[in-house]
Amino acid sequence: MSNAAAKTLPSTVGSAARSVSAPGERAESGRKARTPLSVVRSAPGRRRTPFVVLCFVAMAAALLTVLVLNISVSTAQYQLVQLKAEAATLNKENQDLTQKKQNYEAPQNLAAKAAELGMVASTVKGQIDLNTMAVTGKAAPAVKGDNPGALLAAPAVEGLIDVVPSVTTKDPLENRKPEATPVAPAATPATPAANAASPAAAPPVELNGGSVPAPLQKAPGQ
Amino acid sequence: MAKNPGTSKKTKTPAARKRLRVGLGIMLTLLLVVGGKLFMVQGLDMGGMAEAALASRLTPQVLPAERGQIVDANGTVLASSVIRYNIVVDQTVNTSTETFHRFNEKTEKLDEITRDQGIADLAGLLGANESTIRESLTGDKKYFMVAKDVKPELEDRISKLYIPGLSAEGVSKRVYPNGSIAGGVVGFLKDGTSGQAGIEQTQDEILRGAEGKRVFEIGADGLRIPVATDELTPAVDGSDVKLTINTDIQYFAQQAIQSQVNKMNAEWGSIIVMDTKTGNLIALADTNAPDPNDPGKVDAKDRGVRSVTAAYEPGSVQKMITAAAVIEEGKSFPLDHFTIPSAYTIDGQTFTDAFEHGTEERTLAGILGWSMNTGTVMAGSRLTKEQRYDWLTKFGIGEQTDIGLPAEATGILAKPEQWDDRQQYTVLFGQGVSQSTLQTVRAFQSIANNGVMLQPRLIDGYIPPGGEEQKVPAKDSRQVVSKETAQQVRDILESAVTEGQIKDAAIDGYRVGAKTGTSQAPREDGLPGFDGFTASMVGMAPMDDPRFIVEVVLQRPKGNIYGVTNGPVFRSVMSQVLRTYNVAPSTGTPARLPQFVK
Repeated sequence: MSNAAAKTLPSTVGSAARSVSAPGERAESGRKARTPLSVVRSAPGRRRTPFVVLCFVAMAAALLTVLVLNISVSTAQYQLVQLKAEAATLNKENQDLTQKKQNYEAPQNLAAKAAELGMVASTVKGQIDLNTMAVTGKAAPAVKGDNPGALLAAPAVEGLIDVVPSVTTKDPLENRKPEATPVAPAATPATPAANAASPAAAPPVELNGGSVPAPLQKAPGQ
Repeated sequence: MAKNPGTSKKTKTPAARKRLRVGLGIMLTLLLVVGGKLFMVQGLDMGGMAEAALASRLTPQVLPAERGQIVDANGTVLASSVIRYNIVVDQTVNTSTETFHRFNEKTEKLDEITRDQGIADLAGLLGANESTIRESLTGDKKYFMVAKDVKPELEDRISKLYIPGLSAEGVSKRVYPNGSIAGGVVGFLKDGTSGQAGIEQTQDEILRGAEGKRVFEIGADGLRIPVATDELTPAVDGSDVKLTINTDIQYFAQQAIQSQVNKMNAEWGSIIVMDTKTGNLIALADTNAPDPNDPGKVDAKDRGVRSVTAAYEPGSVQKMITAAAVIEEGKSFPLDHFTIPSAYTIDGQTFTDAFEHGTEERTLAGILGWSMNTGTVMAGSRLTKEQRYDWLTKFGIGEQTDIGLPAEATGILAKPEQWDDRQQYTVLFGQGVSQSTLQTVRAFQSIANNGVMLQPRLIDGYIPPGGEEQKVPAKDSRQVVSKETAQQVRDILESAVTEGQIKDAAIDGYRVGAKTGTSQAPREDGLPGFDGFTASMVGMAPMDDPRFIVEVVLQRPKGNIYGVTNGPVFRSVMSQVLRTYNVAPSTGTPARLPQFVK
């Protein structure tokens, strides 16, 4: 502040030179370049202004940098959260599909599917030894309609079980709409084919929170 | 001070200086007060403000460890954990909210939705009755479960309904994709966390892993403060447990024994398939095996693995041990000559056979081939009581199996001094002694493996998360009988199929050795006597270099016991195993030891 005052008020210059004893007015005496009494050479006023400006600029730049950094970090943070959520969703989806696949692969489900397609297990097999070209065993064709023996229940991998206390004493899964069932319920283990086939049921229409399904679009090339 | 350039310095300066000093003093005092307060707040933290703020920002989070999988020998998953959600509601919030806002992704606006509409949407997604859903959303409970074990995809859609008071809780769910296949072996969990049966129980510590913890600072906007505290103790996931079971063989065996039990109206049945070279158990099949996804569906007595938990009197399969003992002791040989009366009396105890016969001239092979109690007692009585006991012990009777399943049976082998007059002979043909199916298989394994007994293995190894499999080392093996004795006993077993009474165990192209066993099953209601039979068949193939042992056991089949045969079951399981493992058809001439002395 004293610098600015010194610049705008030249009338005090002379008086400052006379009263050298006043320590508060030394700065003003320093402004007089021609005075031999000048003792302060180290802090020339001309140089101070650009320095102060520089300081301000540096500070502003630093603040700006910090601000930009902060913004970018928090933006990245938002992005990180979003990507993490996305990764978690995909992970869960993957887990779900893997489990579905494993369920299809369960031997009893495969056997039931094969039986459904009319396949019959063969019982007697023959072998050919390629080294000796010897044929051992009498392979017999499988007989259609052969008793396949005991049926093992399909895995009761749980879909969703309603735990609301039911008014009726009926099976809690009975009143469920079948099309909303992600995987066949545990209530039908006796028919392995049903479990194996029903996960393919069409998923419910995505309503995006509304109640009216989106209009169907024509696929390209149709 | 500089505002009055015209005034005289001499008069004005002291006043200005004074004012300046007063002002400065006030400033400094204020600065001191502010600084002091700052120091108190920041430096000394009087009142614990910073601490409280930090505590409110610090968010501890438990990082759950993922439970390890249980896989079979080929990596087929038998048990794994997935995420499921429980949909819960704060009924007070939902009941009092008549309308709410929902973000519409299409129009990017907030729609106003009535409570009824929300309930209808939720009912549609859950596939439940609207009235049921309304009932569960209405009330004054702060916490009420609407639906359990909802899949992530459905949970995602439910959360987009923005129904007030409704939230989802993630839970880890154990899923057994193969259901009842090896269900008893795999076991199940009690409350989704701790194992209660099977491998899940015995390997709980390894499967479970260790929970981790993360402590970080979170801002009021719910976002993590990037440069603040972030301490992470990572969770250590549980290791996977790899079994020696082959799921396909296991299925085949379970299906075969279930069919057999249904056909024979038996109480239960079980099948063991073992690799003779390693002791690996390829299948431990049981009837009515539990589905670990829902173990409550079968009776509690069916939830274990009977092949290892059920000890019963093995019957004639034990004659193999008697034959091996007399041969190894040099007291007999396969073509040794025995003159066998229709009933044989020794020490006042009379023994007869399952079939009527006059006095016959038999070989030792013929005694086993026709499963004669008389001949077995005749040959076995050449051993002292202690020798009989020692040989049973050497073959692992009364010695616990340790394959990592709960409640493995040790069986009962009484000390020879406790044997009564009859028991000292009945132990020779498998009565008066009890053992599990696995103990029988282990005894036959030592014969199949040139006299070297290997301890059976079920747990092949542990796979730490992201690491290499660590094999469980095989337990110590022991030479039970010499290689030559083992070969002679194998010839006897093969002759029982080629020349003896077990012709229906034969498999085209492979040389098979087998022994049947029929024993009386003691009553289980505490009354003396017996109320049924245990029918079993144990065999090995190919006899030129036995690779596999299969034992089929049937408990208390209905009807005439002599009409029961496990041959077809044994044959189908054994041929399936041989084909699965690509065992080359047998070479060499099958052993055909004469059953009679001509």
